[in-house]
Amino acid sequence: MNKPNEPGELGLSLLPRMNELTLARFGELAMTNARRNLAVACRGKSLTDLRGLQIGDGKSAVVVAAGPSVKRHDPARVIQDFGYTGAVVATESAMHYCLRGGLVPDLVVSVDPQPAIARWFGDPSLSDEEIQNNDYFRRQDLDDAFADERRANDALLRALKAHGPQIRIALSTTASAQVVQRVLDLGMDLYWWNPMLDDPEGEGSLTAELYALNGFPCVNAGGNVGSASWMMADAVLGVPQVAITGMDFGYYDGTPLERTQYYYAARDLVGEEHLESLFMRIHNPHEDAWFFTDPAYRWYREAFLEMVQDAQATTHNCTGGGILFGEGIRWSTLQDFIRGISRPLTREPEVQRGASTASP
Amino acid sequence: MSNALKGSDVLKGNFTPKKSVTTELQDETDEDRFEKEALKRLGGSVCFVSKKKVMWERKDAP
Repeated sequence: MNKPNEPGELGLSLLPRMNELTLARFGELAMTNARRNLAVACRGKSLTDLRGLQIGDGKSAVVVAAGPSVKRHDPARVIQDFGYTGAVVATESAMHYCLRGGLVPDLVVSVDPQPAIARWFGDPSLSDEEIQNNDYFRRQDLDDAFADERRANDALLRALKAHGPQIRIALSTTASAQVVQRVLDLGMDLYWWNPMLDDPEGEGSLTAELYALNGFPCVNAGGNVGSASWMMADAVLGVPQVAITGMDFGYYDGTPLERTQYYYAARDLVGEEHLESLFMRIHNPHEDAWFFTDPAYRWYREAFLEMVQDAQATTHNCTGGGILFGEGIRWSTLQDFIRGISRPLTREPEVQRGASTASP
Repeated sequence: MSNALKGSDVLKGNFTPKKSVTTELQDETDEDRFEKEALKRLGGSVCFVSKKKVMWERKDAP
């Protein structure tokens, strides 16, 4: 693995190894968390209990993730304005956005093993020092309201105190102690599942080890919580139509690189002067707009495009931007999806290397 | 001849250096070091397993 200088060169070269990188980074933490969570497994149910459960009219689901498109297209408002009657499945990172807009998700999904994401559940002991030392939540091009961390945290604490017990959560057994404790303290309706870490049929499989440990179903999470949420709608709730929103898997052209999720990791790895080697630009033909992405998000895209081939549901991308389009995905507005209208994909993407930070 | 120095005693050194001398292993290349750093910093949130959806129960489970 060399350190190339060409725009996008390193990003593309890393793609085949993203799963290996992920397992090397989080595998041990995930297994440690799962062993510890066994002690509180009885405080929740199995994901099996959600299988085929009719939520709303049972005909469809809308997945709400927390990508940068959310603040531009405001899917929570559309869902409410159009009187949507299907299931709303949200990533934990989009919970604050949904609740702030008056939308209580039917199901929240959480998969990340890192303790830091407990902030998406509100932190009752959030200190000024923590806010000062960790810019993860205010730095990124996500929900602007979360950038005012103190106010957002207070609002989230109030909203979850009021609505937490109403919300089902599909929680990974590999979640951190901090996340699990918040879920239990909030009295959320908890359903456990194991994220697949490798092929469960393989020799020495960690996934098989997780299953042997707790007996909960194992779900292919597709690399990230947005894809995991889509999988819950398709393979667990079993609805025939699924819309995805806020699943950009990339950034709007012109977004400063320091506002991207992996900025610090990328800078520390290749240096500020070589950052362009990690980013790739992709033209979205449906929006006729350019977006740029990093190796992790590009990998999520490739994984999703594979998973959607085996989906039972028809998938409609109502994000309104980003790089997630291709065979098996219909492109639509959320308004059209709710009205029951969607156009099939007919155009192929154009791909360039590098990232443009010029204003769109 | 019993008190004579053997060749091997001379060759292995007969003094103690003021500073300890360590030899750096030359096996690790720039490429290896970069890969190690990438392993520490990059990756997704969770794994992706090709051609799998949900395993509700193991086929060989009782």
